[in-house]
Amino acid sequence: MTELGLGVATLEHEPTGRTDPDAVDATLAASGDASAFERLYRTHVPKVYGLVRRMLSDDDVDEVAQDIFVRAWQKLGTFRGEAAFGTWLHRLAVNVILARRETLGTRRKRYVEGDMALETVPSRRATPEMSMDFEAAMDRLPEGAREVFVLHDVEGYRHEEIAQMLGLATGTSKSQLHRARMALRQHLER
Amino acid sequence: MIQDPWTDRLSEYVDGDLPEWERHALESHLESCADCSLIVSDLRRVVRRARTLRNSPPATDLWPGIAARIGAATPGAHDVMDLSVQRRVRRRWAFSLPQLAAAGIALMTVSGGTVWFLSGSARETVVLAPVPSRPAGDAPAVSVSVRPNAAQSYAAAVADLERVLAEGQGKLDTTTVKIIEKNLAAIDRAIAEAQRALDADSGNLYLNTHLAETMRRKLDLLRQAAALVPVS
Repeated sequence: MTELGLGVATLEHEPTGRTDPDAVDATLAASGDASAFERLYRTHVPKVYGLVRRMLSDDDVDEVAQDIFVRAWQKLGTFRGEAAFGTWLHRLAVNVILARRETLGTRRKRYVEGDMALETVPSRRATPEMSMDFEAAMDRLPEGAREVFVLHDVEGYRHEEIAQMLGLATGTSKSQLHRARMALRQHLER
Repeated sequence: MIQDPWTDRLSEYVDGDLPEWERHALESHLESCADCSLIVSDLRRVVRRARTLRNSPPATDLWPGIAARIGAATPGAHDVMDLSVQRRVRRRWAFSLPQLAAAGIALMTVSGGTVWFLSGSARETVVLAPVPSRPAGDAPAVSVSVRPNAAQSYAAAVADLERVLAEGQGKLDTTTVKIIEKNLAAIDRAIAEAQRALDADSGNLYLNTHLAETMRRKLDLLRQAAALVPVS
């Protein structure tokens, strides 16, 4: 416990033997400390923004990223420190993104249409002239394949988790991932 | 062109998801299939590439918009004159339904006692001033000049939350209980300090605001702690 001058006390965190600034800030933010929440935002916005940008292809990336942090602020009371704050925030971010897609009504069709859309990603090995940035190639993946690829290969979720999040069979998650990788291998720097 | 039957399994191989017998069979195949070997190599590079993608913050700082939406219109401002803004930030209830169930009794009282204390309509009129000390062990003494009942409501809310917590204490692990108790003790000390300081300088706006902030923190902490108690 730290007391700083007149009546100013900082909330204690789990006695893990080392200070976790996120855990402390999450506790403070949960009690309404916007400055603590801003610190959390500054720490985590690059990763959250990267996730949103890669998962969504529309122009609403900034708005959705903002939604995620507002939702996090509203949900801070449910953060109990069982996982790292970043993990908790990340899962919340995925949920917000998926909800956004549901709102847009794009979920159901994209795994079907994705097979055709994959054809739009060049299938021949790219020459240096035609090679495009790897991230740009990811953007051109059909939504379903991109979603699985981002969650699995970029963000590190397991197929079982992805299947649960997206309401897919595990096998579908695996096949979408393979298709995405096969398309993206054409865009590796040689 | 006939596709190699192994091609569709190569990602699973790269991820180590194949059963052992299939992995052995595929590895035998790779020894004689240059195409599949090249694909495996490429897939591994794709995976490595994906894991090394860089994350950059947005081109435009999103915080001002977030701050506005959560009620922190002037984020980062710590000047005393802006304390009202910071108070507004703290004025929120963020319960999930399960939490509402868990802390239902407490919230019923809180809604009567602190909604005014925390409400937007009250913001313009909240002027805290110390009142004569109450008996030891009683809830923190505070009076709001325009709403004398607020002090009683606050005390009732705190008392109810403390009761919920006391009743549910046995359902929480001991570490959590210790942390909650230590934090509450620290906040109580902070409240007592602020009240002592106000005894000497009752008109001090900073001290009044600080006391209100600290009391609000106590209420928030109790609220969170009560929400941790499992519904039996």
